[in-house]
Amino acid sequence: MDYTPQNKQDKQKMFDALGIKSEEDLFDAIPADLRVKPLNVSGGQTEQELLEHFKTLAAKNKTLVSFRGAGIYDHYIPSLVGEITSRSEFWTAYTPYQAEASQGTLQAIFEYQSMICALTGMDVSNASLYDGASAVAEAALLALRVSGKKKVLVSSALNPEYIKTLKTYLQNFNAKIVLLNLSSNGTIERATVDASLDDDTAAVIIQSPNYFGIVENMQDLSAVAKEKNALFAAVVNPISLAVFQSPGEYGADIAVGEGQPLGIPLSAGGATFGFMSVRKGLEWKMPGRIVGQTIDKNNKRGFVLTLQSREQHIRREKATSNICTNASLNALAACVYMSGWGNDGFKNLAETNVSKAVYAFGKIKNIDGFKAKFENSVFFNEFVIETIKDVKKINKTLIKNGILGPVDLSNCGKQFKNCLLFCVTEQRTKNEIDKLVEILVKI
Amino acid sequence: MEKLLNELSSQSNPSYEVKCDIENDCFIPKHLKRKSDLGLPSVAENDLLRHFTNLSRMNYALSTTFYPLGSCTMKYNPLINERIAKHEAFNSIHPYQPAETMQGVLEIMHCLERDLCEISGMDYFSLQPAAGAHGEFAGLLIIAAHFKSLKQKRTKIIVPDSAHGTNPASAAFAGFEIVPLKSEPDGSLSAQKVKEILTPETAAIMLTVPNTLGVFEKEIAEIAKVAHENGTLLYYDGANLNALMGFARPGDLGFDVMHINLHKTFSTPHGGGGPGSGPVGVKSFLEQFLPVPRVEKKNDKYVLDYKKTKSIGCVKSFFGNFPVILRAYAYVKALGGKGLKNASAQAVLNANYMLAKFKDKITVPAGSRCMHEFVLSPKAALGNGVRTLDAAKRLLDYGYYAPTVYFPLIVEEAIMIEPTETESKETLDKFIETLNKIILEESADEPQRVKDSPLNTPVARLNEVEAARNPILKWK
Repeated sequence: MDYTPQNKQDKQKMFDALGIKSEEDLFDAIPADLRVKPLNVSGGQTEQELLEHFKTLAAKNKTLVSFRGAGIYDHYIPSLVGEITSRSEFWTAYTPYQAEASQGTLQAIFEYQSMICALTGMDVSNASLYDGASAVAEAALLALRVSGKKKVLVSSALNPEYIKTLKTYLQNFNAKIVLLNLSSNGTIERATVDASLDDDTAAVIIQSPNYFGIVENMQDLSAVAKEKNALFAAVVNPISLAVFQSPGEYGADIAVGEGQPLGIPLSAGGATFGFMSVRKGLEWKMPGRIVGQTIDKNNKRGFVLTLQSREQHIRREKATSNICTNASLNALAACVYMSGWGNDGFKNLAETNVSKAVYAFGKIKNIDGFKAKFENSVFFNEFVIETIKDVKKINKTLIKNGILGPVDLSNCGKQFKNCLLFCVTEQRTKNEIDKLVEILVKI
Repeated sequence: MEKLLNELSSQSNPSYEVKCDIENDCFIPKHLKRKSDLGLPSVAENDLLRHFTNLSRMNYALSTTFYPLGSCTMKYNPLINERIAKHEAFNSIHPYQPAETMQGVLEIMHCLERDLCEISGMDYFSLQPAAGAHGEFAGLLIIAAHFKSLKQKRTKIIVPDSAHGTNPASAAFAGFEIVPLKSEPDGSLSAQKVKEILTPETAAIMLTVPNTLGVFEKEIAEIAKVAHENGTLLYYDGANLNALMGFARPGDLGFDVMHINLHKTFSTPHGGGGPGSGPVGVKSFLEQFLPVPRVEKKNDKYVLDYKKTKSIGCVKSFFGNFPVILRAYAYVKALGGKGLKNASAQAVLNANYMLAKFKDKITVPAGSRCMHEFVLSPKAALGNGVRTLDAAKRLLDYGYYAPTVYFPLIVEEAIMIEPTETESKETLDKFIETLNKIILEESADEPQRVKDSPLNTPVARLNEVEAARNPILKWK
């Protein structure tokens, strides 16, 4: 099956029009010594064979009840999200270059931008980036570009994937990444930031809830960044913003994050999307597509890609970023997801995450051999538990019971030896949590 | 005109709800609590479905019309791939699951990597980059890491003036200085000119073959030779790979690093601007620098290796855009080696057939033969102040999406057409007739009508200048 439509007769007519005998004649420009021998690639499967083949591959994956987050979260995805993203008018369209023929995609992105701004409390959102990690890297680059300074202070409780990605992005850039130490409470303290801030600091980048699930005192940290004229970049979980202070409220300059919680399946960690919103004044320095509202010739409202002189297809090497294709269809999914809750519903969703996580936290920390790592911390849907039990055995036993257990934090430094990062979203039922506790008790 | 979500009823009951089966207080300390209004709409499911369905109907898409967007390879996106990608056992996998519980995911990644190597002539691929430009960025970081390991200070990348905008942007992003290279009038490059601008500081040359005018780079072997003699690497922009499958391989042409756009050549949908996937491939001497994690096969089991000390690191979280990778692999298994070659053959046949029907009437800067796409310069053929943009907008009235316009930058009033292999002769004939009519007849007989177009789209010509001058970037 190769999905080509031409039959023999049509092909012959085309050959005749070109005065050739076969398609091979069209490849004359490729010198004989550069030609390839037949490709050794298996295939030629029919649709039925493909379905069977991939069923076999799918069977090699195990679907588990997840108590694991660490950047990718198991949230319920309403049916409407899949229905809309499955409309071929959306998924088979290209980047909306011809605005008049792309109003569906453009208006949906405009609505997406509006709701990202509403959630984050910021002024301007772009149309999406690849994922949370690359969004953090782009935020750092934005701050370096705007300020002309050469240093970024980064929370050591930033998701490790984000830290690694940030380091990759900045490796040939004349800029320094300084990691801020974590306090014994699992948070970044104001004094720690203050001590590292200097006139050459472009930005302070803090994640909240941080990698260990704890909600930071962003108001405090933002204020101290401001005192030294550094930009404050907040890395946030979008659902948590229904109940916790928004970046706009604590005066952040840039808000970024992983968009996956907003209606995107786990999909082995991607494709997801990253979001970025900024305060007014930074929009011309932002990376990525931005959709704006305008009018047509008859004064009718319409939408276009705008502020394009920031972008690679116009600016080439002087562009604010090299990004072209981003994650539009996932931004659409998020748009459909965000628009269906209403304020109270979305708040209830976030509170349900907190309630369930608090319930699980209370149960687990009281099991013999387990205790809270940060007893009085405020968290959203993740928390750290320290144990004297064999961490590997815990997860093996859970897997046997169809449960994806907590993340083993032993790679996060000495402080986290024998520590486990649990995640409990609204998806987990009381029964599932109780079953998890029951298994942990027996280990 | 479709209302905005915030103009739809905010009084109705919302679409979604969640019930909590645990009774405990959700206590949040006052100083951490959100105080401002969330500002989200509340729209009932029935109305929301209509809203988004109505929006979708305002889009031209590959599933509704011919989409001859040059450089973008808008080929048919097989439905079976969508069906496979919806399988729960693929999309409910957490990336930190133990490898033994996601062998299917890892096997697909491993096998696609092997197939991409065979198709492209490279030795290794990382599937991590999320898009073409992301793959370019990773590739350029690999080049930088290579020279760093050799302790050579090479800071410059040569980029032809015909290149995609992402090429110079990615090179700058990776910390390089750009040296522009002027192409010949037909878009090709002269090996002699390449030789003249090579210096000991030249790290790499970024090329796409066929070039952006749709022409096979005839001096490619010579260019590779002079570059390599200078210690300079050759980067292949895979945007145009759809012309070459089964006929030539970038690896055999002398390229050292490349990326592939799975959302172009390997048929995965564009989604209105992503998510895509831009695997980065290298020759073996550069393998050590590829992004982590790498998928490896050990004792018949697939494992993830994060411990590559010379790796450039990771360019995003986790493994790559797996749902896109999955679809691309399904595509490769449908076509196989033979089918892939036939796809390229038909793509080139379709493009040449179209070119033949235009070339006597409209200026063709790159000669009468092309590979998978071609560029027209209708400047002389258009009369009465009608411009390429007008002709493109007029095409929308006839139900077609417009080709790429004003690119490559080296061609005046460029129209860049890429039909792909999945369009029938009948579709091509009708489109040829329409575009010829607009350029040759309508621009002469009713120029104002063309300038006023589009007339049949959901909105008329939009004011982009106003949008940038007084930006309205969210609901009021």
